[in-house]
Amino acid sequence: MNALRLRLREPSGKGIRVDLRGVTPAALCPLSEDAVASFEIARGNRQLALGDLFDVLVDGRDAASPTLILEGDLRGIDRIGWRMAEGTLRLVGDAGDYLGCGMTGGELIVSGNAGDFTAAEMSGGQMLIDGDCGDFAAASLPGSIDGMRGGSLVIKGNAGARLADRMRRGTLVLFGNAGDYAASRMVAGTLAIAGACGEHLAYGMRRGTVLCLGEHREASSTFAATHHDFRVYWSLLRRHLALAGGVFAQLPATAPHRFVGDIAVDGKGELLWFD
Amino acid sequence: MPGMQLNGVTIDDTFAEAFPMKATRLIITAHTAQWAEHAALSLTGFATSVIACGCEAGIERRLNADETPDGRPGISVLIFSMSGKELAKQVERRVGQCVLTCPTTAVFAGLDDGEPIALGRNLRFFGDGWQMSKVLGNRRFWRIPVMDGEFVCEETTAVVKCVGGGNLLLLAGGTDSALRAAETAVAAMRRLPNVIMPFPGGVVRSGSKIGSKYSAMSPSTNEAFAPSLTPLTRTALTDDIHCVMEIVIDGLSDGDVAAAMRDGIASVVELGPQRGALRISAGNYGGKLGPFHFHLHRLASAGVSG
Repeated sequence: MNALRLRLREPSGKGIRVDLRGVTPAALCPLSEDAVASFEIARGNRQLALGDLFDVLVDGRDAASPTLILEGDLRGIDRIGWRMAEGTLRLVGDAGDYLGCGMTGGELIVSGNAGDFTAAEMSGGQMLIDGDCGDFAAASLPGSIDGMRGGSLVIKGNAGARLADRMRRGTLVLFGNAGDYAASRMVAGTLAIAGACGEHLAYGMRRGTVLCLGEHREASSTFAATHHDFRVYWSLLRRHLALAGGVFAQLPATAPHRFVGDIAVDGKGELLWFD
Repeated sequence: MPGMQLNGVTIDDTFAEAFPMKATRLIITAHTAQWAEHAALSLTGFATSVIACGCEAGIERRLNADETPDGRPGISVLIFSMSGKELAKQVERRVGQCVLTCPTTAVFAGLDDGEPIALGRNLRFFGDGWQMSKVLGNRRFWRIPVMDGEFVCEETTAVVKCVGGGNLLLLAGGTDSALRAAETAVAAMRRLPNVIMPFPGGVVRSGSKIGSKYSAMSPSTNEAFAPSLTPLTRTALTDDIHCVMEIVIDGLSDGDVAAAMRDGIASVVELGPQRGALRISAGNYGGKLGPFHFHLHRLASAGVSG
C-alpha cells in the first residue's frame, strides 16, 4: 500500500470552499498515483480532481497501514478526514472547518490550527491538534443529538466557544483556554482543560466530568459541592489523563473539589478543580 | 505400585487427573490492605469445591499499591467454575454480597483477554438510578453511591478456559507429619502465580471417589486412602501410613498446575520422610474422565533438577 503526500499548490484561504470528504487514507492509499490525481472532490457546486489542487507524491510503496500526509495552507478546505475509520492522516498546516468530523477510527494529527466543528460527532480513534481550534469542537452538528461520542481528542492550543457541546463519551484534553459555554449540554464523557474557562461553564450539563486546572469562575448556582471520598475514581481518571502528557501527567494524587450539576437538568455531571 | 525414591520419600508411578474449568481473576482494592483482605476472605469463603459451593475460589496473592489500577493495596483472587454461566452467577452474588458491602473496596477485572462476564454491569442497579458510568480508554467503570462514598467497579471481567482438580496425596506416618508435609507443600505452591488451593488452609482430608452405595450421595469417602479401613478394603496404603492429606490445585493453565505440583513435590521431598510424608501419590479416575494428566515421576524429576 502506498504512503501518500498531497501538497497543496496555492494557499486556499480565500474564495469558494473546497470539500475534501472522501479523501481518507483508506480510500486513497490503495490507488495508483493517476487515480489519486483524478480523485473527484468538490469546490462549491463544481467537481474537480485532487490533482487540480494538489501535487501527488508517493512517500513509500509498502506502508503497513494507509498513511496520508496533507501539506499546505488548507484553511479554505473543509471536511478533512471526514468520517475516516482507519489509517493515519497527517496535516502539516492549518485546516478549515469540520476537520475529522464523524471520525470513527485511526489517527489524525494536525500540526496547525483547525476551524469550527473540529471533531464534531467523532466516535473513535485519536486526534491530536497542535494549534487552536474554532467553535463547537467535539460538539454535535446542527440538528443532531450527540456530540463527540468516543475516541480521544487532544488540543494543544486554545478552543473557541461551545467546546464539547452535547458531548456524550470519549476523552477531550485541552491544553490551552476554552471559550464560553464549554461543556454546554454535555451528556457524558470526560473534558479536561488545562487553561482558563470562559463564561457559563457546563451550562445544562447532564452527566460526565469536567476538570479545570486553570482560571475559572465560581461554579454557577445550579452546581453544588459534594464532600465525599472519591479518590478511587480520581486515581483512575488521573492515570487515564496522564496519557495526554504535560501538565496532565503531573496531576496531584489528592482529589480535587467536586461540584455536581447542572441541577437545572439531570444534575449528575461533575466539575472538578483544585484551589 | 512401583515407586521412585527421592530423599527417602517414595513417589508413586501415577498421575493426577484434572478437568477443564472456567476462571476469572478479580482485583480487590481497599483503603488498607486489611480491608481488602476482609473482602477477599469473605468473597472466597465457602468456595472449596464446585460440588456444593458453585465455585472454587481463593486468594492468589497480595498486591502492593503500585500494582493495582487505583494505586491502593489490593488482593487478587481467582474464581473457578464448571461453566461460564455458573461462574457469572457466582461472581455477581459474591461480589455483590462480599465486596460491594465491604468498607472502602473497589473491584477490577484481573485478566485482559477472554469472554467478558458481568462484574459491575448488574451490580450497578444497586445505585437505584444514582449510579454513574465512566468509560476511560476502552474500559467502563461504574460508580455506585454508598454510605462511605462510592463503590467503584469495572463493568465486566474476562473469563478464560483453565484447569481444575490437579492434586497431590501426601501419605504420612501420623497427623503431625502429614500436616507438616501439607503445610510445607501449600506454602511452596502459594509462591506461584495463577493457582489457588481452594480447600481450608489449602488442604483437604476428605478425599473422595465418584459414587456411593447411597443413591442420595454422589461423591463419597475414598476408602482406599482411609487408614481406618486398611484391613477391611482394597487399600492403597501400607501399614506404616496412618494419615493422608490431599492438596487440590486449580490453575489458569495446565502449565500452572504442573508448576505448582512440581514445587509442592519438591518441598515435600526436601522435608524428608522423618518430618513429613513417606509417600506422595495422586488421585485419578483411570485417565478416562479428565483430559489433563500430571505424572508425578515427571514432575518430581523436574522439581529435583530445577
